Amino acid sequence: MSAFEAFADFFDGASANRRRVGLRLDVEALVLGLPEGVPLRWPLADLRARPDQADPGRMVLSLAEDPVARLVLSDADLIARIRAAAPALKRRPPVAHKGRIAGWALGAVASVVLIIFVLVPTMADQLARWLPPEGERALGDATFEQIRNALGRESFVPVDVCEAPEGLVALEAMAARLNAGDDLPYPLRLTVLDDDLVNAFALPGGRIVIFRGLLDEALGPNEVAAVLAHEIGHVVGRDPTRDALRLAGSVGVLGLIFGDFAGGTVVLVLANELINASYSQKAETGADDYAHELLTEAGLPPAALGTFFERLRDEYGDAEGIEAHLSSHPQMTARIEAALQAQAAADSAGRLGPPALDDDQWQALRSICGPAEHQPVEFPEDAMPPSHSPDDARDRLGTSKTEKSK
Amino acid sequence: MVRELTTDYAGRRGPLFRLALKTSLFTVLTLGFYRFWMKTRLRRYYWSAIRPGGSPLEYVGTPTEKLLGFLTAVVVLAFYIGVVNLVLMFFSFSLFEGNAPAYALSFLGLAPIYFFAQYRARRYLLARTRWRGIRFGLEPGVKGYVWRAFVHWLVTILTLGILWPRMTFALEKYRTDRTFYGDHRFEQTGRWTGLLGAMKHVYLAVALIAAGTLAAVLSEEPVWLVAAAMGGVWLALGLAYWKAESFRRLTEGKRLGAMGFRCRPRPGTIFGIYLGGSLAISGIFAAVLLIVMVALGLVLGAMFASVDLDAGFDSPEDLAGLPAWLFSLVGIAVYFLIFLLWGALRHVFITMPIARHFAEVTTIIGAEGLVGVKQRERDEFAEAEGFADALPLGGGI
Repeated sequence: MSAFEAFADFFDGASANRRRVGLRLDVEALVLGLPEGVPLRWPLADLRARPDQADPGRMVLSLAEDPVARLVLSDADLIARIRAAAPALKRRPPVAHKGRIAGWALGAVASVVLIIFVLVPTMADQLARWLPPEGERALGDATFEQIRNALGRESFVPVDVCEAPEGLVALEAMAARLNAGDDLPYPLRLTVLDDDLVNAFALPGGRIVIFRGLLDEALGPNEVAAVLAHEIGHVVGRDPTRDALRLAGSVGVLGLIFGDFAGGTVVLVLANELINASYSQKAETGADDYAHELLTEAGLPPAALGTFFERLRDEYGDAEGIEAHLSSHPQMTARIEAALQAQAAADSAGRLGPPALDDDQWQALRSICGPAEHQPVEFPEDAMPPSHSPDDARDRLGTSKTEKSK
Repeated sequence: MVRELTTDYAGRRGPLFRLALKTSLFTVLTLGFYRFWMKTRLRRYYWSAIRPGGSPLEYVGTPTEKLLGFLTAVVVLAFYIGVVNLVLMFFSFSLFEGNAPAYALSFLGLAPIYFFAQYRARRYLLARTRWRGIRFGLEPGVKGYVWRAFVHWLVTILTLGILWPRMTFALEKYRTDRTFYGDHRFEQTGRWTGLLGAMKHVYLAVALIAAGTLAAVLSEEPVWLVAAAMGGVWLALGLAYWKAESFRRLTEGKRLGAMGFRCRPRPGTIFGIYLGGSLAISGIFAAVLLIVMVALGLVLGAMFASVDLDAGFDSPEDLAGLPAWLFSLVGIAVYFLIFLLWGALRHVFITMPIARHFAEVTTIIGAEGLVGVKQRERDEFAEAEGFADALPLGGGI
């Protein structure tokens, strides 16, 4: 009758009864002395300690092949000796159902990819066509207000809409020259916002927003007309509406995958940008192509689109590499080349006419937000924009930048 | 011989904080993938901390089970969420010219899935919980739960929350009556009206807030708002009281064969934990942010000092001679740090103390009946709690 070194609680896994057992550590096994009958031998190699237990002073042991029996010991000395003697306390059972996990993982990835890159965009395309105009306008108006508020910056006042009457008339005249009428699903609404941003975009429902900054940067009305033609291309393609619908579908799915782990929203936004970008690049190229056609039809130079982007590239840099994938605009070099090609075609067909606006109209447009900030630039009578070197552009832009800094 | 088993609690703040912080960090570094391991490890800790009669509870779920369940849910839900959200947005703008209906309908459409996920998650949790080696379990019955939950929520909302105790009791009874320990089935005795007493302070407080606000508006004397403010404080205490009292009444109404519970939680302690915990977390946060800002200020100051100011600059990044992306990186790092810290502190100052309090005040009576409880079969349940993992079901363990 060998003495027991310590006592512990034993649960045999067949009933909830707790039994007090004596323990003895042998060379190859832990011996459990049950109150009745034959002692149990638990081989040291098969001992497993349950992980992440709250009480460091206790050890909960189980046996490798027996999933339910448990031994709970609190004798510090014995615990230390078992830790030293048992070789595989921390071994976990092999991962069950590895094949199944791999299969479902593949299925999940395929499902998500299919939905985000195929199903949702296709449905968004189709539904964008069916959305009644009033509905689109409502969507566009809601977004417009959000943007105005977001751009309010330091003040909480939303950005102003520029409404000088002569400027508005000039803008309408430019749109009329472009004459996209038949292609448009609904009438255009042109708005100029009083902000430094050099940008323009289209919203669902036919609203095109141009920023004052873009008007300031343009060398002549042909460049603004080119941008306007590009945005009209977006309206005709119903790109903004498709984007909004597609976003509604994708965001939900992405939220699903990344879950609510700490800061998941950041990853969500990044992932959405990535998806957004690849989808939009196609739309941008499409809008470019439409713009080239529209400009040519109106007798305006498609190259204006190219030169404008060229100046912006010199000023703001091209999006190369990773940034190109993230930015929704195709690399500017590609766009500039496309514009020049269209120009060459128009040239050879002899289709160029007078500039988009005459001097007075152009001045009115530039003053739509208030008096223009710097001297107007003279441009030659023919439609070609003046040739320039990057240095000229940088000088000119350098001055205007300090003038504009508030 | 009537035996009673008291419960002791073995959880400690320090080790829990370290575990929570470490696992949260891994989760962030793996873009959320590690969260199945994090949840599992935290559950193991929380379960083993509770020791009825000195024997710890045990959580035997594995991270890969959760992962598999999650992947299953993604396949189904991705389709549902992607397509349905899109269609709802379309109809919302077509018919109502606004996006509010879309969000409302989306919510309504997700509610059944939400309840489904809740029940299945509880089934998984119980199926992977053991005490004294014996498994718990929850019978299948999700359909009944989903429609009951839906109807009860509707009724509760329509009665502006007055019938909240009724919903609480009904759903708790449905779950408890299907819960097993080994081969013994639990039973929830009592009636829902028994919970009204637990809600009384909430009712009174809300009435006071409403009356105070109404009087202030009608008489145009702001002094009545003081009454509303007092009502607000009372409401906070009343919610703690509800939490404690409802737990007591529901637990003492549970039977397992001839066994039962005695439970004496203290509302004051509950309130103190929430209040003290929130203050502690805010305090620590403020201190950490202060340290970080001071450190950042020192570093930037050193950089500014070495730059030629006459050269002119366009933005702070240029001045410090650093690329803009570095600033974004620091910003993102601070953002994640805040989340990590907040999560870990919440475990330490709120979740664990609450769990400890409820554990320590609960006693099992009639424990001699435990000898007769036999083991039950393992519930394979491959889908685990995948849907609950996929949907944002809020915090908790």
